[in-house]
Amino acid sequence: MPWPRSHRVRAFSYRLPPIAQPLRHKTKVMSSNNTVWQHPALQRHVVRELDNGHSEVMLLIDGMRCAGCVASLERALVASRGVQRVRINAASQRAHIIWDGTQNSLSALLDCIDRTGYGARPLDARALDDRRREEARDALKRLLVAGFGAMQAMMFATVLYVGAIDEVNATTRELFRWLGFMIATPVVMYSAKPFFSGAVQALRARRLGMDVPVALAIALVYFASLLAALHGEGEVYFDSVSMFVFFLLTGRYLEMRGRHRALDLTDALARLMPDVAQRRMPDGSLHSVPVLELQNGDILAVDSGTVIPADGVVQRGQARVDESMLTGESQPCLRQQGDALLAGSLLLDGPIDMHITRCGSDTTMAGMVSLVERAQAERPRLARVGEDIVARFVMLVLGLASLTALGWLLVAPERAFGAAVAVLVVSCPCAFALAVPAALTRALAVLARNGVLVAKPDAIEALARADHVVFDKTGTLTDGLSLQAVQLAADRTPQTLNQLNPAASEVLALAQALARESRHPVSRAIAAAAGQDAVPVSVEAIKNTPGQGLQAKVNGRLLRLGRASFASPTALPANIDDNALVLADEHQLLAHFHVSERLRPTAAAAVDTLLDQGLSLHIASGDQAHRVADIAARLAISDWSGGQLPADKLARLQQLRQSGACIIAVGDGINDAPVLAGADVSVAMGSGADLARASSDIVLASEDLGQLATARTIAAQSLRVVRQNQRWALAYNLLAIPLAAAGLVPPWLAALGMSASSLGVVLNALRIGRQHKPKTARVQAQVVTA
Amino acid sequence: MSILLIMIPLSILLVIAGGIAFFWAVNHDQFEDMDSPSLLPMEDAPDALQDQNPPE
Repeated sequence: MPWPRSHRVRAFSYRLPPIAQPLRHKTKVMSSNNTVWQHPALQRHVVRELDNGHSEVMLLIDGMRCAGCVASLERALVASRGVQRVRINAASQRAHIIWDGTQNSLSALLDCIDRTGYGARPLDARALDDRRREEARDALKRLLVAGFGAMQAMMFATVLYVGAIDEVNATTRELFRWLGFMIATPVVMYSAKPFFSGAVQALRARRLGMDVPVALAIALVYFASLLAALHGEGEVYFDSVSMFVFFLLTGRYLEMRGRHRALDLTDALARLMPDVAQRRMPDGSLHSVPVLELQNGDILAVDSGTVIPADGVVQRGQARVDESMLTGESQPCLRQQGDALLAGSLLLDGPIDMHITRCGSDTTMAGMVSLVERAQAERPRLARVGEDIVARFVMLVLGLASLTALGWLLVAPERAFGAAVAVLVVSCPCAFALAVPAALTRALAVLARNGVLVAKPDAIEALARADHVVFDKTGTLTDGLSLQAVQLAADRTPQTLNQLNPAASEVLALAQALARESRHPVSRAIAAAAGQDAVPVSVEAIKNTPGQGLQAKVNGRLLRLGRASFASPTALPANIDDNALVLADEHQLLAHFHVSERLRPTAAAAVDTLLDQGLSLHIASGDQAHRVADIAARLAISDWSGGQLPADKLARLQQLRQSGACIIAVGDGINDAPVLAGADVSVAMGSGADLARASSDIVLASEDLGQLATARTIAAQSLRVVRQNQRWALAYNLLAIPLAAAGLVPPWLAALGMSASSLGVVLNALRIGRQHKPKTARVQAQVVTA
Repeated sequence: MSILLIMIPLSILLVIAGGIAFFWAVNHDQFEDMDSPSLLPMEDAPDALQDQNPPE
């Protein structure tokens, strides 16, 4: 497929199906503990031994976005000891490595990739048997043979067409007929084989698909032409039959590419090997084990910054846990001894020991996965309308051809066969067959250039029809926490960030000095607050108390930043509760910080555009009601609900759908996955959870909600083009078939009409998205800074 | 017209040669990744990596 190469950044901006962390070029996702992959139990799952003693593995690479990434990874891997062969595919974000297992270990290879700044995660060894790759190669070869054949047959046929006027002598005509036969034979026998085998399968299953009539038409035209060549009289249609096969295969090939792209994304997520966990042995030592082998009752040590591998309770220590992906709760929650922990949530500060109560398929997260599977199964499959039309059309044409034959038998029997074949040839199901794939392929490319990745092409149709949008809040409309205001201990009212008095600025600078030492989301919000002149400070003797806060000496003064109950040396004033975020020194409270969620920069504009397009908007969030109300008010969305469990959200969605609504669901978390799977169109944010992306039709890689409105416009345009194409094909056929039935269409005109009508369909599809120039400014900035 | 007797077999041979070359290319992964190879020559920081990735 030709990608425009006019502009480097533009090309980068749409290469990219994101498997993880799409907007952070070169992210370090995995912790560097790769030695666990030496574990024999894990190796069995991911590495395949080849006959010659080499090993083979398939890796999923996180953060690989462009050609430069591929080049640097390849260079690093090839330079490693024992590596025999590396094949990296940026489109599916996979690396296939064959190396000599006696010289180098898998974990050393993973370390090598880590050092280049990417994260690599081994895939299940079954991912090595890539049936799709075989299918794609096979289809490409058949397509090429048909293409070459069609061109050659055309060339030889031209001699016959010209000869019809110039009276080329009979021997030459004979020669070119047989040349046409020679060229068309591999096209029919090899390229068209999928149609024949499909037809046989369909007949065995006692149904008529698209393949049966198409195979019948190909066979009829081919053998009729062969008969004509044998008799040395009548018309041969070897060029038409080759072209017919070529156009139909083109349509199929385009469709297959779209399907494979979607599967590459979801399949890789499904094959991802679970991480490893640190099991605490009875003697207190730690032992790395695959998550697969965990059992209820095991004691695990979980470190800060890692994902909790199983449901359980805290046994020792306390920590804040980010459960936003699972529950939609925007603020980290404190978990102390005896509190429940959910698999899939992120431990912000630790370490803790946990006691497993449920693991594997019993965890809350696994329950979520099965909810997704159920919702997907219930989802109404958009019928393959295009294929149906082709099948019905070809049946109709076969009917018309036999009618024609019958009609001529009554009038002039010697012309019956020729006229029937002419009807078959001149009628062009190719234009119908290309109408949908050509428009979809073009639409997908245009959308991808705008940072909208469509995983399931069916979504285009639903996107254009949709009339409701259900947004998740945390991570979708908002993208983190930000510092809103600072309230000095002496003041009664908070000061907003852009009008701080000098005293408040000074306090904020101190707090930022402390906050830079922590990765906690709240600390990061404070550290990121802009506008403070860099006061030179020295920070020493830092002490991090998990779940409570930080303590350090700043410019020689002992300061504490954190929960009020932790930081304050004195009793708390009435207006500040335990959980408030405060800064204090040894003697007194200094200030109280107001931190709240930050709207995505594009959210407000996107909401306005979607409202203009006549959609009704809803917010359904798992977060506490007052926080949802706040965000809804800021975006002027009146219809919202908070405290929703995934099942509640799904129930609400189904209720809406029963009233006839067509729904777009937008989300990012694991808790959104069931909703995403149950909606007519599901949109996941590019930085969202793997599960959310896997259960969605569309991924917003650019994280720009405004692109949702653009995508809707492009989808509507694509549907219009499909309909135009189909009408055009119908008009052409209505005109051509009666003429052919009357015996008025010579073979050269039939061939010309067939190719012109197919070309018209493709050219029309290219109009899609002409007015939507991609916005590359953001992506450009990224590529430059990367 | 006798030139046809040379030109036609020649054109068929050319088609067959083209087909063989193409099959070879498909079988040797030349069509696996259609996007990044065209951009590879434009990457201009081959040295930067060596600092991060000392030889083993």
